[in-house]
Amino acid sequence: MSQTKFIMSSGLAFSEEKDMDRLRRQSLKGWHVDGFQFMGYSLKKGESKDYIYSLDYRTLASAEENEYFEFFSSAGWSHVASDGDMHLFRAEPGTKPIYSDQETKVEKYTRANKWVIGLTIPLVLITALLWVGMVFTEDTLKTILFVAAAIFTIFAVPITWTAFASTGYVMKARGRKGVGSLLKWLPIIVVVGVVITLFIIDPSIVNNRILLSALIGGISGVVIVWVLGSIFNKIRG
Amino acid sequence: MKATEQLTDSMFYIMAALTKPRHGYGIMSLIEETTKGAITIGPASMYTIIKKLLNQKWIYLYDGTDSRRKTYYLTEKGKKVLEEEVKVRKLMVELAENGLKEVEK
Repeated sequence: MSQTKFIMSSGLAFSEEKDMDRLRRQSLKGWHVDGFQFMGYSLKKGESKDYIYSLDYRTLASAEENEYFEFFSSAGWSHVASDGDMHLFRAEPGTKPIYSDQETKVEKYTRANKWVIGLTIPLVLITALLWVGMVFTEDTLKTILFVAAAIFTIFAVPITWTAFASTGYVMKARGRKGVGSLLKWLPIIVVVGVVITLFIIDPSIVNNRILLSALIGGISGVVIVWVLGSIFNKIRG
Repeated sequence: MKATEQLTDSMFYIMAALTKPRHGYGIMSLIEETTKGAITIGPASMYTIIKKLLNQKWIYLYDGTDSRRKTYYLTEKGKKVLEEEVKVRKLMVELAENGLKEVEK
């Protein structure tokens, strides 16, 4: 049996706590996380141990790292891995949480949220401009703009969804749990709503094969990755 | 800037500990000892607040020679802010104490 394995993240903007719980359960089985991977974590086989995990988001200059990690280690949290602005820590159960008050916890998710929003807004604007451009052009240019718009949409949709979920986390940290959950699912509701509305306004949309396949492709792409990831985790887990 | 900008509890505790030059761990353990474990400051909260207080210029880097254990100290402005905050908090403690005494009667 291999001594390392990979588990997929459920998407940190969507389920940070769930991911941290899963890492704890893996540690109980002797699989300890040792790094971030693309869309997940790498784990290493060792002795079974009960560890709790916590994640922090923070941009650190290299001159700040020593002090930052020292704060954590002196409080009983050892540094596991970092990837860009994400820092993962583990500790013995019962160690005091890394955030002890609501104000700084809200700031944690606000920092992460700013980053996601900063990525989402330009992407959505470009995508919208491409679609508008497509409507007002003809022939070859129209086709080019259409393909570009479809490609951008495939990226814009999941990132927008992430931005909503991440904003939901900020709301939740502020103690507005209901609004937080709503924001997490709102994009799906909106997409389904828009598709239904489009269909009612212009049923011939079904005949537009390129548009339809772009939509199906985009949605099924996300679903396939998700389902495969879950199955993969179940089998290996 | 208004001197009356609301301090959070954690900010107040950390500023109270920085009436002498101290490093992060020193601040955390002093707060915990003083309150007999009733109040602890998590490392991520601690780091966030230190950065914020530096930004506000209420504390400054007192000694940065040991990159793991930098020490911080209140600025003159920080001392004033803390003094004001102590006054307000004292009033609220008095309110609670007097109120409780009346309940006992």
